[in-house]
Amino acid sequence: MEKYLIFKSILMLAALGTAFTIFFKKVRHLYRLMKAVEGESRFQLDRIQERIKVLFTDVLGQSNVRRKTLPGLAHTLIFFGFLAVQPHSLELMVKGVFPDFEIAHAIPVFWGAYLFIADILAPLVLVGFAYAIYRRTVVRPSYLTIGRDAMLIIVFTCVIIITFSLINAFQIVLDTEYNYAAVFPVSALLARWFDLGALTQNQARIGFEIFYYLHIGTILGFLVYIPGSKHLHLLAAVPNVFLKPLEREKAMIKTDIENEEAETFGLGKVSELNWKNVLNLYACTECGRCEEQCPASNTEKPLSPKNVIHDFKVDLLEQAEPILAGNTEAVQPIMREGSPVTDDVIWSCTSCRACEDICPVNIEQLDFILETRKHQVLMEAAFPPELQETFTNLENQANPWGFGNDTRADWAKGMDVPLISDHPEAEVLWYVGCAGSFDDRGKKISKALARVLQRAGVDFAILGPEEACNGDMARRCGNEYLAQMLIQQNVEVLNQYNPKLILTGCPHCFNVIKNEFPQFGASYPVAHYTEYLFDLHKQGRLVPNGKNFGNLTYHDSCYLGRWNGIYEAPRTLITSMNAPGGYVELDRHGPKGFCCGAGGGRMFMEETIGKRINTDRAEEVVAAGVTTVAAACPFCATMLSDGLMETEAEVEVKDIAEIIDEATA
Amino acid sequence: MANIGVLMEIEGGELKSTNFGVLTAAHEQGKNDVYALVLGEKAEAYKDALAAHGAKTIVEISVSGADLSKSPDLQAKALAAAVSEYSLTGMLGLASAVGRDLFARMAADLNLPLVSDAVAVDFDQKTVRKSHFSGKTFAALQLDAEVLLCTIRPNAIEAKEASEAAEIVAFSPSVSDPGRVKVTDAKLTASDKMDLTEAPIIITGGRPIASAENYKILEECAQALGPAAVGASRAAVDAGFAPHSMQVGQTGKTVSPKLYIGCGLSGSVQHFAGMKTSKVIVAINTDKDAPIFEKCDYGIIGDLFDVVPALTKALKET
Repeated sequence: MEKYLIFKSILMLAALGTAFTIFFKKVRHLYRLMKAVEGESRFQLDRIQERIKVLFTDVLGQSNVRRKTLPGLAHTLIFFGFLAVQPHSLELMVKGVFPDFEIAHAIPVFWGAYLFIADILAPLVLVGFAYAIYRRTVVRPSYLTIGRDAMLIIVFTCVIIITFSLINAFQIVLDTEYNYAAVFPVSALLARWFDLGALTQNQARIGFEIFYYLHIGTILGFLVYIPGSKHLHLLAAVPNVFLKPLEREKAMIKTDIENEEAETFGLGKVSELNWKNVLNLYACTECGRCEEQCPASNTEKPLSPKNVIHDFKVDLLEQAEPILAGNTEAVQPIMREGSPVTDDVIWSCTSCRACEDICPVNIEQLDFILETRKHQVLMEAAFPPELQETFTNLENQANPWGFGNDTRADWAKGMDVPLISDHPEAEVLWYVGCAGSFDDRGKKISKALARVLQRAGVDFAILGPEEACNGDMARRCGNEYLAQMLIQQNVEVLNQYNPKLILTGCPHCFNVIKNEFPQFGASYPVAHYTEYLFDLHKQGRLVPNGKNFGNLTYHDSCYLGRWNGIYEAPRTLITSMNAPGGYVELDRHGPKGFCCGAGGGRMFMEETIGKRINTDRAEEVVAAGVTTVAAACPFCATMLSDGLMETEAEVEVKDIAEIIDEATA
Repeated sequence: MANIGVLMEIEGGELKSTNFGVLTAAHEQGKNDVYALVLGEKAEAYKDALAAHGAKTIVEISVSGADLSKSPDLQAKALAAAVSEYSLTGMLGLASAVGRDLFARMAADLNLPLVSDAVAVDFDQKTVRKSHFSGKTFAALQLDAEVLLCTIRPNAIEAKEASEAAEIVAFSPSVSDPGRVKVTDAKLTASDKMDLTEAPIIITGGRPIASAENYKILEECAQALGPAAVGASRAAVDAGFAPHSMQVGQTGKTVSPKLYIGCGLSGSVQHFAGMKTSKVIVAINTDKDAPIFEKCDYGIIGDLFDVVPALTKALKET
C-alpha cells in the first residue's frame, strides 16, 4: 500500500504537470495572439459596477442563454453541474499527489455543504446532456451542426460526471473518519443500487481507484483539448460577456480616411482584427442561434453569421505564426482564393443585427462582416456591380436614385411646409430623408406625416435642398469615404442651424443621425417620428376618429427595434389609433423580428440567391390573416409591398404615419 | 467667317442622325463655311440632308490604291491633309468610338491640342465647354491653337435646319503610310436584338406581362417601331419572365432613349431611376392611380394586352 501510494504520487505529479503545462502553453499562445493583432479597439473598460452586475445576471443568472427555454435550461444544468464538480476534482488531484490532503478535515461544515450540493448537481449535467444529444440527433435543427468536436466534448464531460458520482459512491463504502454518506445523497443511492456495501474494503478501494484514474485522466485530456476546440468558449465566454458593449445603440467604426500613413482600410487580413474581435472569436461555441435568426441563412443564402465567426477563427489560428512573429506582410488576405468567406457571404448581410441581438455571449458579428466590406470597397474596389450606379448618384446628387437634389423639397409643394432656412427658429427640424423626398411611395408617407404634424400644431421645418443622404447605405456598403462625405455635409448644415430636436421619417436616418453623427461633431436630440407621435398622443394632441382598419399587424424595422430598442411606441400608436379593429402579432416580432431584406444597402443590390427575403416575410404576413400590415420605414414598406405582390394576397401595406393621418383626419 | 470641317459618321450606309447636331455647332448660324468630310464613300445620297443642316461643301475623301476603311491611321492622315487643303481653322466630330479614335490620331499627326466630349464650341473665342460631375459644373477651356480640334458629345447640341448649297467635291490626298493598325473584320454582336443602352426606342414590360412568352407582343411592337429594344422591370425579372440582361432600373441598366414605352409598370423609384433621362415617356397601365402616370409625358389607361397589339397593328399599317 505504501509503495502504491508513492507510485501514485509520482504518476499523478507527472500527469498533472504535463497536462497543466500543455494547457498553460496553449492558452498563452492564444493570449499572445490576441495581443499581437494590430487592429485598434474602441473598447474602453468603464462602468465596472455594471459589468460586475452583468456577471451575476448573464453568467450566473444565465439570462441570455435561457432566452431559448429548454436548451437554456439544459445549458444551465450543465454549467452549474460542471462548475460544482471542479473543486472536488481539484481536491482529488491534490490528494493523488499528497495522500493526506483533506479539505473536509479543515472546514468540515462548509466543505460538507459544498459536497452535498455538488453531488446533487453533478448527475443533473447528464440530464442537460441528454437533452443536448436529443436536439443534435433527433430534432436536428439545421443551424446546429454536430461535428466530431461537439461529440467528443459530450463524451468527455459525461465520463467526467459519471466517474465523479461513482468515485463518490465508492468513497461512501470505504472506511474513513469522515462520514461521506451524509454529504453524498445521490451517490449514496447509487452505492445502494449497486450494492457496493457488499464489497470488501479492498475491492471497494480498487473500484475507487479505477474510477479515480478515469475521472482525473478525462479531466486532464479535456484540459489539453479545450484551447484548440470550440470549447475555448469555456475560457473566453465569461471575459467576453464581462467586456460586452453595455449599450444597445452602436455606431459603425469610424475609419480615419484622412490618415495618409494608413496602408489599408477596413478588415482585409486577420492580423488587422483587434483584440476584442479575437476574444469574440474565442468565445463562440457555435450554438447556431445567430444562424437561426439570420434572414440570409433562412433564405438559402451562403451567409451564416456562425460560419463567419468560425471561418475567421480558423483563419486566425492558421495564420498565427506570422502574426506572432510580427511579420504581417506574410499574412494572407481573408478573402483569398478558396476562402470560405466569399463575396456572396459578405454581401448577403442585411445588417439587421439579429445575430448580435440573439448571441448569448455578445459576439458582434457585424463588425467582421461590415469591416470586411469596407476593405473590399476601399482597397479592392470589389463590390456588386449594381452598386456602382447608386454610389455615383450619392456622390453627385446626394440621393441613391440620382434625382436633382434641388428638387428635394418638391414633395411638400402646396403643403405650407417651411424650409429651415426661412424658419430657423422651428421647434422641430424634420429630416425627411431620400425615400421620403423622392420615392413616390415615400412621398405619400411624408405628406401624411406633414398633415399629422400640422394637425397636432407642431412648429416644424425641413431642410429641403440643404439635406443630403445620411450616409447609412454607403457606410453599410463599405464605402466609408462616400459615407463620410455625406455625413460631413449634413453635419455642417445641422451645426449651422443648431436644431432643438431632429425628427426623422426613416429609421435609417434616425439611427445614423443619432448614433453616428456624433462621431463627426453633431450631437442633437433625435427622435424617430413613431416615438415623437407617441409623445404627442400621450399629450392628447392626436385624437383618433374611431376609424376601423380591421386586423392590423406591425412589421418591426431592424433599425428601430434591434438597433435602437424601439418596440413599444409603434405598437401602442397603431393599437390606439385602431381601437375598433384588432391587432395580431407576427410570429417573428420584436427582437426576433424578421428583416424585410432592404437593410445594409441590400435595397440597391440584386437578390439572386435563394428565396427572396421579402417574399418570406410577406408570406408570414399573409399567414397572419391581417387586412393591413403597418411599417415604420419607407424601405420596409416597399419591400413588403413587392413581396405581397408576389403572393397576390389582398393585404395592404401602410406606414404608421399614414394610419395616424387617416385615423385623425 | 471661318472654314470648319466636320467628320461625317456613316453606319451601314446611313448617316448617323447625331451628325446633324455637330453640323449645327460648326455652322454657328451661318457664321462659318462648313465642310462635311465623308471618308471613302460616295456622298450623293446624303447631299440633301447635309445641305439642310448647313454643309456648304461636301468633301468625298479617298486615297488611291488603298482601302481607307481598313486603316484608321490612313483615315486620320487624310483628314489632317484636308485641314491644310481647305484652310480649316476648326474640325469637329462626334465623341463616339470612331470620333475619339480618329481625332486622337489626327491631333498627334498635326501636333495640336484636342478636346474630347465637349458640349459647346465658340470658334471666335476659341473656347470649348465641357461638362463635369454629371452636369453639375461646366468648364470653359480656351485653346491656344491654330486649328481647333474637338469632338462633341452626341445629342449635346440640338440640330437646326440651315439651308446651304452643299456642293460635292472630291479630295484625294497623297498619304501612304497605313500605320500599324489594320482593321481585318467587323463583327456584329451575336444577338440580333438591339442593346438596351443604345436603343433609341425602348418598350418595357412589367409584372402584368405574366409570362415569358407574352414578351413576344412587345417584341413585335419593337420591330414595328423600327430600331427598338425590349426591356423588363425588376418585378418581371424576379418573377422569371425575363433575364436580368433585360432589366431596366437602379440595379439593372440605365437607359436614356428618345422614346420609352412602359407597359404595366407601376413606376417605382428603383425603376424610374434607370430611365428618368428618357426624352419622351409613354405609360400604359390599367391603374389610373399608378405613380408612373405622374412621370410620363403621355399616359394610356388600358390593358397592355389590348393597347400594344393595337399599336403594332397601327404602326404596320402606316
